[in-house]
Amino acid sequence: MPERTKLLAAALAPESTSLTGKSLSVTGLRKSYSGTTVVDGVDMEIAAGEFVTFLGSSGSGKTTTLMMLAGFTEPDSGTVSVDGRDITKLNPGKRDFGFVFQQYLLFPHMTVTENVAFPLQLRGVPKAEIRRRVGQTLEAAGLARFAGRKPRELSGGQQQRVALCRVLVYRPPIVLMDEPLGALDKKLRDQMQTEIKSIQRELGLTVVYVTHDQEEALVLSDRIAIMRDGRIEQFDTPRGLFERPRTPFVADFLGAANFLNGKVEEPTADGCTRVRLDTGGVLTARAHSCVPGQRVRAAVRPGKLRLVGVEEGCCSGTVETAVYVGSLTRITVRLDGAAPGTPPLRIETAHTPPRPGERVCVTAAREDVSVFDEMDGG
Amino acid sequence: MAGTALAPGKVRVKTSAKRGHRSRIALVNAVPVTLFLLVLFVYPIVGVLSLSLKGDSGGFTLHWYTDALSGANLSVLISTLRISAETAVLSLLVGFVLAHAIARMRPVFAALAMLIVVVPHFISALVRTYGWIIMLGEHGLINTLLTSIHAPGAPYSLLYNETGVVIGTTSVMLPYTVLVLQGVMRGVDGRLLAAAAGFGASRSTIFRRIYLPLVAPGIGTAGLLSFILCLGYYITPALMGGDKQTVVAALIDQQVMKQDQWNSAAAFGVILLLLTFAGLGVLGLAKLRRTKAHTRRSGS
Repeated sequence: MPERTKLLAAALAPESTSLTGKSLSVTGLRKSYSGTTVVDGVDMEIAAGEFVTFLGSSGSGKTTTLMMLAGFTEPDSGTVSVDGRDITKLNPGKRDFGFVFQQYLLFPHMTVTENVAFPLQLRGVPKAEIRRRVGQTLEAAGLARFAGRKPRELSGGQQQRVALCRVLVYRPPIVLMDEPLGALDKKLRDQMQTEIKSIQRELGLTVVYVTHDQEEALVLSDRIAIMRDGRIEQFDTPRGLFERPRTPFVADFLGAANFLNGKVEEPTADGCTRVRLDTGGVLTARAHSCVPGQRVRAAVRPGKLRLVGVEEGCCSGTVETAVYVGSLTRITVRLDGAAPGTPPLRIETAHTPPRPGERVCVTAAREDVSVFDEMDGG
Repeated sequence: MAGTALAPGKVRVKTSAKRGHRSRIALVNAVPVTLFLLVLFVYPIVGVLSLSLKGDSGGFTLHWYTDALSGANLSVLISTLRISAETAVLSLLVGFVLAHAIARMRPVFAALAMLIVVVPHFISALVRTYGWIIMLGEHGLINTLLTSIHAPGAPYSLLYNETGVVIGTTSVMLPYTVLVLQGVMRGVDGRLLAAAAGFGASRSTIFRRIYLPLVAPGIGTAGLLSFILCLGYYITPALMGGDKQTVVAALIDQQVMKQDQWNSAAAFGVILLLLTFAGLGVLGLAKLRRTKAHTRRSGS
């Protein structure tokens, strides 16, 4: 597969040495439908050659945002510009973007060859050149055998590969993809993810991608914009999102988080770091702006909570369940003094797990504790 | 093990017995329809066929067919075919524009527009035709209007010639073409057109290269349908045409009612039937080609 991908990338590579990607910048993008705000002020700067993903649940406004970038939906306000040129009012066809959709949208009455040749014909590429480029692209994508077939005679994966070829063959500087792999099965999806990523990297394409699949977003993206209620909650690298979530929503959305309520302690030498939990015990967090005595919520990922022997500041509790799931064990711990009805702590450990009913003490490294204002939703 | 090995056999016996029972019931159900068709459809057609092949003396002859396909009769047949073809083309053109507009309307308005297209069809053909005669006459609405704006050459002769006939028959066929075309147009995925626009295709290119090919099967069906229906159409050509616009149906009427010439009329009837079959055959072939492509793709 990697070999074929390299072939495809080589077939698509521009004759000139310059990479094809362009930068994209969005400011104050807004859209509402009959009174309901769908996209509520999206700002972002996407660098040339960057792979950016909008990640969010359905109704978060990610697809609408993409459609406004594409020009299929007109924004109520805000601007979209490419390499500094304002294209907000431009028709989709004039933007010279590439689009790949979940439904592939191959033309059913055309053969694979005709489908892939279509954008080139529109661009007035000479016939011989079209034949050469289409042939090369299909060959490299492993579709040469199907060149004469109609889309409906192909499997889903093959159709999506044709859709990709049809877009990449005219080397658009920016490619927009709306859940392009949503209709494929898991195995095929993994394979296509690798292909898309390598082609993007090889050609230096700017890709804006929409998905609700976290894993897919993490595998593909240079940066991920987490969308919620029409806004970007956080726009960061996958690592940044995981390790420094800026809102409780992000902390919980990506890979789940334990939330612990508490009060900020008096600042120490390196700033405001210690949180006294309501359940007793103290967590040391990354430095954050705060007022001593302020009510806060601390978030820690299940994999980052550690079970320790009794030491200063750790939170004691009782193991409720311990489930072995292969590479690690999932444990739930009820802290002493936790209010009834609050969910138990979720902990993942690769070490020898304690038994249910056993007394444990829980702590976390300072770098792994995020602190949010208690008023923040999540 | 033995149980599982036996079970499928048992089941199969059961279902085949059931199927036999069912098919017997189906046969019983088919009896009335079969009888109906035999008495009212097959018997008359066989009668017409034998009538068309029977000489004056009672022996076998092709005389009526050679007669029907020569001289004045042949020109009637040709003008019938020509009128049908013109009607098919015109009702396709008008129907396409109408159906396209309706397919893009909001459902409520689309339903209303469809009603307006279809309702005239429920009015007696005679009334409709006289309506056209009033509209198209030398002092009719259209010519009065055209004269008042000094259109060059007005008043036009729009009645008792081929123009009149084609206008009349087109208005009769229009509901069929609109219904067929509109159904196909509704089925066209708008996202495909948007996708083509996204690649930079102009509106005319999208129409020519995407939309038209996608509705082409409907165009074929609608065109052929109005052609076939028009072949045997009688009232409108008789009332709105002149002497030269005699159509086969009118000729048959004349031969039976005025000349008591049943054999010749039967021959014409058979010719019309064969032409209709030919049209249906063309439709069937096109459909067969599509399904063949379909089985090929589902087989692979």
